[in-house]
Amino acid sequence: MSSLYNFLELNAMYVVLLITLIIWTGIFIYIFKIDRKLSRLEKENKEF
Amino acid sequence: MSIIFKIITYLIISGVIIAGILLPIPYIPALEDKARVIYFHVPTAWLSVVAFFISMVYSVKYLRKKENIDDIKAYSAAGLGFLFTILATTTGSLWAKFSWGSFWNWDPRETSIFILLLIYGAYFALRSAIDSYEQRAKLSSVYAIIAFITVPFFIFIMPRIVETLHPDPIINNQGKINMDRTMLFIFLSSLAGFTMLFFWIYNLMVRSEILKQKKIITE
Repeated sequence: MSSLYNFLELNAMYVVLLITLIIWTGIFIYIFKIDRKLSRLEKENKEF
Repeated sequence: MSIIFKIITYLIISGVIIAGILLPIPYIPALEDKARVIYFHVPTAWLSVVAFFISMVYSVKYLRKKENIDDIKAYSAAGLGFLFTILATTTGSLWAKFSWGSFWNWDPRETSIFILLLIYGAYFALRSAIDSYEQRAKLSSVYAIIAFITVPFFIFIMPRIVETLHPDPIINNQGKINMDRTMLFIFLSSLAGFTMLFFWIYNLMVRSEILKQKKIITE
């Protein structure tokens, strides 16, 4: 436990960086998927 | 929007996150490492102003031409502006916790952004209170124009005329930018990246609102 604490204390910046990047990548993928879904719906809407 | 635009947006913001967190910054009295928040806080505050401006422009356009698409664009911009104002408030509040000791102090900056949130909150309350589409669009357009008049006052004027603990704005009272070159580069990249992200989300919001209205008409 103390070694984990030490690791986090020494690498705090990198841990923050990693978490921020994961969250941003998640948001990006989410928006990207919405975009694709919207394009599909627009296409379907045109066909009718 | 093209795939290249989306990938560039992703890369710019990822770069800003990496450089913003890892690159050393010069010693800034009282702010120190906490100054890094400007890479995220200022672009969100700036984009809220841009969004409210877009909302005002399309509201004027709607009142002149009475086309539904202008109302959709005005409404979507106001919604996004509200979201970015919340983000600016949250990032500012987090920064305040570590610089001033508490999340909320009713500093003039905090008070002005809080009033702005109330003003635009009322815009959505107004929209949801009216059933008739035309009347709703007309009244909310008038409200959006009046609401925007208060934006420059609350964001740019009030924090400059009253005493505040908030650090100097990026463009200070002498009209100059006092920022280290590396920091300025990351900051401008962040501004560009967030602006691209803003217009991408704005595009999605407008398109989904158009689809929603088409669905209501066909049902």
